[in-house]
Amino acid sequence: MIELQGLEKTYHTGGVDTPVLHDINVSIEEGEFVALMGPSGTGKSTLMNILGLLDRPTGGKYTLGGVDLTALDDNQLSTIRNRRLGFVFQLFHLLPRVSVLQNVLLPFLYTEPYPADAKERAMQILQSVGLGDRINFKPNTLSGGQQQRVAIARALINEPAFILADEPTGNLDSVASGEILDIFDAIHRKGRTIIMVTHEPDVAARAERVITLKDGRVASDERRR
Amino acid sequence: MTPAELALTSTAKKAAKPARHLMSPTRFLRLSRHAAGALWGQKGKAFLMMIGTAVGIMLLTAVVGLSAGVQKRIDQITAFFGPRSVMIFAGGGELHGAGGRAEAGTTLKLQDYQAIRDQIGYEAVVTAGIFSGDVAIKAGNVGTQTHAVSAPPSYSEAFDWYVQEGAPIDSDDERSMARVAVFGTTAAKNLFGDEDPVGKRFLLNKVPFVVKGVLASKGTSAMGFDQDDRVWIPLSTGMNRVFHQDYIRFIRLKVRQDYTVSSVVAQVTDILRARHRIVPPEQDDFRTITPDFIAARVQSMARTTELVGAALAFVALLVGGVVLMNILLLSLSERVPEIGLKRALGARQRDIFTEFVAESVLVSLLGMVLGVLLGLVPVLAIPKFFPMMPMAVSWQTFAYAALFSTGVGLLFGVQPARRAAKLNPVEALR
Repeated sequence: MIELQGLEKTYHTGGVDTPVLHDINVSIEEGEFVALMGPSGTGKSTLMNILGLLDRPTGGKYTLGGVDLTALDDNQLSTIRNRRLGFVFQLFHLLPRVSVLQNVLLPFLYTEPYPADAKERAMQILQSVGLGDRINFKPNTLSGGQQQRVAIARALINEPAFILADEPTGNLDSVASGEILDIFDAIHRKGRTIIMVTHEPDVAARAERVITLKDGRVASDERRR
Repeated sequence: MTPAELALTSTAKKAAKPARHLMSPTRFLRLSRHAAGALWGQKGKAFLMMIGTAVGIMLLTAVVGLSAGVQKRIDQITAFFGPRSVMIFAGGGELHGAGGRAEAGTTLKLQDYQAIRDQIGYEAVVTAGIFSGDVAIKAGNVGTQTHAVSAPPSYSEAFDWYVQEGAPIDSDDERSMARVAVFGTTAAKNLFGDEDPVGKRFLLNKVPFVVKGVLASKGTSAMGFDQDDRVWIPLSTGMNRVFHQDYIRFIRLKVRQDYTVSSVVAQVTDILRARHRIVPPEQDDFRTITPDFIAARVQSMARTTELVGAALAFVALLVGGVVLMNILLLSLSERVPEIGLKRALGARQRDIFTEFVAESVLVSLLGMVLGVLLGLVPVLAIPKFFPMMPMAVSWQTFAYAALFSTGVGLLFGVQPARRAAKLNPVEALR
């Protein structure tokens, strides 16, 4: 479970303080599907970066599974990212020079010990997202929707507790978006926690909880189902 | 707590242990293999990155090849010359050639040899003599030419060269100016064919001689001539009955154990200067040659080439390293999103650092392989076409190549790798 208590984030640039997040108090239970909405520049991405352990808050507390993360160093945070978090980005972020399969295996570069069944797991996941026949393709030979499915497979390879998706359909047409969202639904049904940033209300409608940020504060927090 | 939370807690606890060890070997191998893949993915750039190292290593290989060749040649010459030996030739002035072949001089006399033998004979085996090239020998109707050495019985011991058949020149022969000769195997074969030469009669410069023995075979010398093509006669016979001269050409000393070559050289020099009434800074009218002297001369001939080659190799490696570093730094900006992604996927700073240094070292090692291959071409080809040019392949070639290329990779890879590792993942992903 994720717990944010009085979370603050202020950027210091050139002697000027720019506050981005104020007093964020949110808890997200295991297995929830949360959409994070709000106008541009309200701190959604900053919050996602903090949730994803890529950035540190300047105040407040972030606990993950009862562990206070503010006290951990970069190595420890890296290990948690590797084992417990899966990222899906708007721009897919696939390595163009390696195959679909190698892209999915990428997180295992940093996993100790390296799983003996790595390849089998990757093939299985690729099959489950409908790309079982594309494992040796280079990413740039695939459609946008297919590339995003590769990225989702990569996010799932280490069986993370949390999937952090930053506008995963932002670069896709409506058909591909629908496919991606169906996959997220399926992942969610299997019990994974999904936190997804989106601009689009119909995408957010897939989530069971919508948190809206405004000017760096939580403006609303609604459970739909 | 849910099972997932429990798992998370244990991950965090494991992660909370201070990780002081550098990296597991398997992880290091995984990252290196990944780095190799990254290089393969940008072959053109990788080629540019390695070319400086390749040129540097090529030059280094050639220089080390030359050094090894020179050392080999020195070892050959020293072995041929005798490692604890001193040669004294008549005549002074500048020397020419690696062996210091003296111009003909008439300043060394039999009395000089006798004085040296009498005064320091306990420190060194002393012999002396005359080398005469192109001496006519004739037996029956077979005639040929050979080298004649006129030397006393101490010749055998001083040159470690003994008869394998018959008897050597002895002191009776020397005293009586006997017309006896000991043959080298080649000269014997040339004159007598397969017959046993001992006891046979022949003419040397039209003077009748009897063959007394045959020397053991020594083969071809380091300078490429057949040492067995010679005849040894007593010094007194040579001086008085064949060549009619009152001077000798060389004195040779083989320093005994417990004495040093340098102190023997100093004593011989003093004796000869006193006898010839030479007071420094007047120039000596004789020349003293030791293995060290020869080694220094051979080395000094190759020294300039070696120094220039080494300096060029160093510059090439330096330039290659700087080019490598700058290409890595340039490609860094293209790969910022990749680095951000890897950090998100769980790469530690150390992992990113390792990947980039591995790329740099791998590309240098590729440069090394190319450089060694290119450098071996002259090392192997030159001795084929110019047999006098010493070139040899030695283990040092590979040791230096590996050392320097790895060094370049590490030295010039660290800065880009550090920069990559320190990238802020949030900004990198933007």
